Amino acid sequence: MSRLAALAKPQTGYSYAFMDAFAKRELRRRMLKAVAIPGYQVPYASRELPIARGWGTGGLQATLSLVGPETVLKVIDQGADDSVNAANLRRFITRMSGCQTTTDALQATIIQSRHRIPEEILREGQILVLQVPDPEPLRAVQSDSSACHHMHADADYGQMWLVLYEQLVRYKRYIQGASYPSLVNGRYLISPSPIPRWDTPKLHRAAHLTILSAGREKRIYAVPPYTDVRPLEFSDIPFQVEDQRTWADERTGARYKFMNELPQADGTARYELSDTGYAEKLIAKQRGQAVTIGRTYYDDEGNFYHDGYLKPPVIPEQGG
Amino acid sequence: MYVAARGGEEAIQRSEALYHALKGPITPQLIQGIMESLPYLVDRVMGEASLYAPELAALAIAQSGGDLYEAVLLLRAYRSTQPRLGYAHPLTTERLFTVRRISASFKDIPGGQILGPSLDYSHRILNLNLLGDQQPAVSEEAPLPERPASPHYPLVADWQRQQGMLAPTPTHEASAPQDIPDVTRDNVLFPAPRAHRLQALARADTGGVLALGYASMRGYGLIHPTVNELRLAYAEVRMTHPLTGEDFSVGRVRVSQAEVVSNGGQHAPLLTLGYAATLGWNEVKLIAAATLDMEMSQPNPHPAHTEEFVMYHTEAIESSGFCIHFKLPHYVTFASSLDNLRKVISTFYSADSQPATAPAPQETAP
Repeated sequence: MSRLAALAKPQTGYSYAFMDAFAKRELRRRMLKAVAIPGYQVPYASRELPIARGWGTGGLQATLSLVGPETVLKVIDQGADDSVNAANLRRFITRMSGCQTTTDALQATIIQSRHRIPEEILREGQILVLQVPDPEPLRAVQSDSSACHHMHADADYGQMWLVLYEQLVRYKRYIQGASYPSLVNGRYLISPSPIPRWDTPKLHRAAHLTILSAGREKRIYAVPPYTDVRPLEFSDIPFQVEDQRTWADERTGARYKFMNELPQADGTARYELSDTGYAEKLIAKQRGQAVTIGRTYYDDEGNFYHDGYLKPPVIPEQGG
Repeated sequence: MYVAARGGEEAIQRSEALYHALKGPITPQLIQGIMESLPYLVDRVMGEASLYAPELAALAIAQSGGDLYEAVLLLRAYRSTQPRLGYAHPLTTERLFTVRRISASFKDIPGGQILGPSLDYSHRILNLNLLGDQQPAVSEEAPLPERPASPHYPLVADWQRQQGMLAPTPTHEASAPQDIPDVTRDNVLFPAPRAHRLQALARADTGGVLALGYASMRGYGLIHPTVNELRLAYAEVRMTHPLTGEDFSVGRVRVSQAEVVSNGGQHAPLLTLGYAATLGWNEVKLIAAATLDMEMSQPNPHPAHTEEFVMYHTEAIESSGFCIHFKLPHYVTFASSLDNLRKVISTFYSADSQPATAPAPQETAP
């Protein structure tokens, strides 16, 4: 046989958790640096994974370099464990690491998420890995990454305040939707990833560690436990989370949790909990099954668990 | 072991099965056929994947049903798992086994214009006779010349340097191979090392490089390129054996290289040179890439020709991946925006106030 394949050593399987040891070591070092400088975007050599770029490969690299056989993993997309993308990532991580999986946020040791933070309060020792499409909160005012780098170095966030001011003048409110720009530890402005504003306060003084990883843009940053995270807001016009106070989950009656709005053919809408793992437990409880439901960030009256962090809305008098 | 499996997992498995059901079976003959009959396609995929492995590239093309971005991703994902066993010796242009080498700068050049394999002067007529199996395909074997052409050719640029038209080749100490910046394993920061730039162009998306390069050529650029030299060649990959210390050849790879020059660049009145090279033969990509290399080196390039802009936006896997990620559900972010929209509507368009006092809300970030 003259074929090269005949001369080469037999094809072996992939490394544990897919990535080679050097890549995992680099990721861990970058994560440590990210934890040491809260909110600072640490560049890393993002590896190509067998999942399309822009589909969570940043979060996936973080998870793969943290995962072990003892890990209990939860993967969600838009809050849902059974979303096709979450299912696909979970299938890949378990296939490559043999870790266990769960839909219960309290059981999980690592939670990889796209666009949501669970409703139940995460505890010390848990790691939340958020997938980040664009790590740069300044992109809207400066598309050049090198220039953004300088602005962060100087904490030059004036243009962001100007954007907020212009929104107030035009619309009498902040109209930033998800990925609300937030200041970490009073120093670095971050995009908290496209989580709804409802979830942004959950990062503030959280007991768990949050790793935010952008695979395509090759940047990783972190919100360490018990670190201040403040959405950008003027002192007299407070930041507002989404107002869903009239919405109730149709299966459990739950309120004051983030909801999916499902348009109906007759012009009305139905509502369901976005956090499917939490909904699953509420339903189980209603059926009389034994489940442990954790304390939630927002109680049943909509009060956030850090008193005074969220303030009632103020509409500016003069606008337009 | 408790596994969180629900509807989504079965759905994605069925979806993948459907995709594969719509194309024929993948056989060793098919892979062999792709490798032998479609070398330019295989080359394009290998170049963009920056992995020279014709058999694996053919497999990737077959496995993806010909979706080239998927094929490149398959190869890149495979590449990223491979250990780096060693470093080949540097190649010089003169040592290449060159089969095609043309210059638009001069009518004739030392060593001669070697047209080699090309469709440049073919009539682009579909050969419909080949469709039916009753017509035997006409053999298109190239006639053998009486004596073979030289495999090695000097550089046109060297002649220009002797004439003082081009700045001398910059001299610097040879780097240890492991110290050469590697865009696949380093952080990317700007201004990028030249190695990063040339590696990024070598593995860039052909269509993306062409679009930006064409924009430069058509009029958004600062400089007019002349193809100084374009080469298709085979390169002998030589390494030092880790145990015996002997130099040996690992094998031959197809490579291509382009140099464009302009007298309007930053070295004016001297000529300015732009360079690009890639694994495999891909002429259109290299002429565009060499033009972009020249543009990126200008003091104030057009915004679409800065190094950051070109390197980020011609990345095949990142650009295609991000584009198709918009198929993923975005209903949480959309709900967050709708909340603002409703609030603005109720502030400005409430039942008892005059409508149309507010401009359409526009978010500032995704």
